[in-house]
Amino acid sequence: MSKMTGGPRGWLKVVTAALFGFMLLLGPVSPAFAQQSDSGVAGKKFVIGTDTTFAPFEFRKNGELTGIDMDLIRAIAKSEGFEVEIRSLGFNAALQALTSNQVDGVIAGMSITDERKKVYDFSEPYFESGIQMAIAKGNTDIKGYEDLRGKTVVAKTGSEGETYAKSIAEQYGFTVKSLDQSATMYESVKAGSAVAVFDDYPVLAYGVAQNNGLKTVTEKVPGGSYGFAVNKGKNTALLGAFNDGLAKMKANGEYDKLLNTYLADPTAEVPSNFWDLLVKSFPALMKGLGNTLLVTGISFVVAMALGLLAGFMKISSNIVVRGIATTFVNIFRGTPLLLWAFMFYFGLPQLTGVEISIWVAGVLTLSLNSGAYIAEIVRGGIQSVDPGQLEASRSLGLGYGKSMQKVVVPQAFKMMTPSLINQLIIMLKDSSLLLAIGFGELLYQGQQIYAANFRVTETLIIVGLIYFVAIMALTKLANYADRKFNK
Amino acid sequence: MSASTVEAKPAKITVNGLRKSFGSNEVLKGIDVEIGEGEVVCIIGPSGSGKSTLLRCLNKLEEISAGHVVVDGFDVTDPKVDINEVRRHVGMVFQHFNLFPHMSVAENIMLAPVELKKATKAEAREQALKLLDRVGLREKADARPASLSGGQKQRVAIARALAMSPGIMLFDEATSALDPEMVGEVLQVIRDLAAEGMTMVLVTHEMGFAKEIGDRVVFMADGVVCESGKPEDLFGNPQQERTKEFLSKVL
Ligand SMILES: Nc1ncnc2c1ncn2[C@@H]1O[C@H](COP(=O)(O)OP(=O)(O)OP(=O)(O)O)[C@@H](O)[C@H]1O
Ligand SMILES: [Mg+2]
Repeated sequence: MSKMTGGPRGWLKVVTAALFGFMLLLGPVSPAFAQQSDSGVAGKKFVIGTDTTFAPFEFRKNGELTGIDMDLIRAIAKSEGFEVEIRSLGFNAALQALTSNQVDGVIAGMSITDERKKVYDFSEPYFESGIQMAIAKGNTDIKGYEDLRGKTVVAKTGSEGETYAKSIAEQYGFTVKSLDQSATMYESVKAGSAVAVFDDYPVLAYGVAQNNGLKTVTEKVPGGSYGFAVNKGKNTALLGAFNDGLAKMKANGEYDKLLNTYLADPTAEVPSNFWDLLVKSFPALMKGLGNTLLVTGISFVVAMALGLLAGFMKISSNIVVRGIATTFVNIFRGTPLLLWAFMFYFGLPQLTGVEISIWVAGVLTLSLNSGAYIAEIVRGGIQSVDPGQLEASRSLGLGYGKSMQKVVVPQAFKMMTPSLINQLIIMLKDSSLLLAIGFGELLYQGQQIYAANFRVTETLIIVGLIYFVAIMALTKLANYADRKFNK
Repeated sequence: MSASTVEAKPAKITVNGLRKSFGSNEVLKGIDVEIGEGEVVCIIGPSGSGKSTLLRCLNKLEEISAGHVVVDGFDVTDPKVDINEVRRHVGMVFQHFNLFPHMSVAENIMLAPVELKKATKAEAREQALKLLDRVGLREKADARPASLSGGQKQRVAIARALAMSPGIMLFDEATSALDPEMVGEVLQVIRDLAAEGMTMVLVTHEMGFAKEIGDRVVFMADGVVCESGKPEDLFGNPQQERTKEFLSKVL
């Protein structure tokens, strides 16, 4: 099924590998620290990691996480008397969080494989999946694999769909192109750059029922089964409770009812036009915008403090002080933002054994990166003030600090303001990268929406417009403040 | 060092064996000067001879490499001496004015008294207006420096330097950056200060003015005091070859 080996994004794999290589250099990974009592589950609360967007197993409807996995784990929790806190992290991130014991279990439409069994313990299978092929709705030429000769099909990178498609590619004479996300694959089939998509049967079935513009023409090929996972040897009681609850649901018919909700008769309302889509997605997107603005605002304040400190340190006459500031600036200007997001959210907890909230990780990432740039802006601003200004102030008997504060810095700030506004806007845009660790900012919310309704282009246009309007408003506001205070 | 030390006035500034190097370049090579209370001393000399550097050593805008400088009773070479305290006794006027562009004219003058808690804002403003009266610019109190002419800027700079009521004023080529028609108004302000008995050290290229206003003229060349004396002696009957050569070029 989906995601046999790695994740939905190629670069994620690379960065993760690099990060873990770095960890190995630093020392042994610290032992478990999340909840791990093995003595029964009643009354306890467990943190469960999941994917961000893997309809129909997990996706957002009106801002709420829903789907087969979500309904299942909640129903089991209820019947077994424990509580769950769901963290929508993304598939790879959820598995990393499980490895580092940041979460107690993962349910994410995950196939049970021998590879994974080496590091995780799996529940009884809760879903029998398979692979199916789909083509564009209006395509009448393709009725079976034989009609694929000379054509290109798409499949998800590292998925069972890809493995299966490749296994028959030679026999039927077609080419397999690998893409990272279901939504992207469907778009390329609809756009005609590929004629067919091989994907997990439940995902396809759900999409087709959602009017995603595709249809299936072949039978499903039976494949593996999905399981709920805990870290190897940990949370055995939770695993037992899951198996117990699942068995009860299968026995009393609730299980079939649950599957039918999503696969036989999808209930999610599909927006019929652009306006409808806008209205339906607006609340979730506004929540995302709120998070974007808040994380940018907090980070900018921290970045300003850091940047001022490092900027002044850079003009210090003390070589050690200068060296510290230069090192800080070079490190954070010389490494990608995303690396630090992963480092703070996944790496640091493993090294220190202290869990880090996604807000702290996000603010650290953005503010340290921007702080380095602001330090340079501050240094440049101060050095651009005529040295005669400091001399005149010193000659009046004012100390260095007072002279800086009253004479040099106000003039430097005036020169720095346009660059600072620019930095603020860059930060606002960069905050979208935090979606990689599952931070619920604007673009993340957009992804959630199109993963559920397959309206990729329109959703992205709406998200883009919101960013654009927010940034224009911010620019106007900042320029107004600049004119007002920097006459 | 010079004949003028015999004058009875108490010494306001004493410079002893002052040396100053920038890296390996020795700019001041042992300077001895004594300046009495109320005395007006003009420093002249070729470009690069160290005139500005000497002036800037008097209020320690430059670190002093060797020797002693005593100003108003403070040994500025003593690391224990609070240099900010000394600077309040010494006003300085720069060639390029160095007014604070983000403050009004009055605020420029009020900065030191207010920040150093010598006066409340209201008192400082009143004093600033009086100083502006003295330099004839009261109506410019709330203007920005950028809107002033060069001569007006320099007069404001002088008013600012006077704000802490210093006993000594240093001028480094205060009229060199001015259009010729504005030189007069600034010289007049300096003349008034001299008449009030202010102790002043002026680096200047205006030989006529030095002759007129100076109680004494010091001629510097290559980092040493080459010759010094009363203006009529130094200009009328120079003793050193270097002095004669310099004067023949500028007069
Ligand atoms: N901050 C500095 N760093 C290095 N060298 C300096 C510095 N300031 C002055 N000098 C050098 O010291 C020498 C004397 O400079 P100073 O400015 O005192 O001369 P000056 O007599 O005032 O000349 P001018 O009439 O051109 O103003 C010059 O050779 C100059 O290059
Ligand atoms: Mg000079």
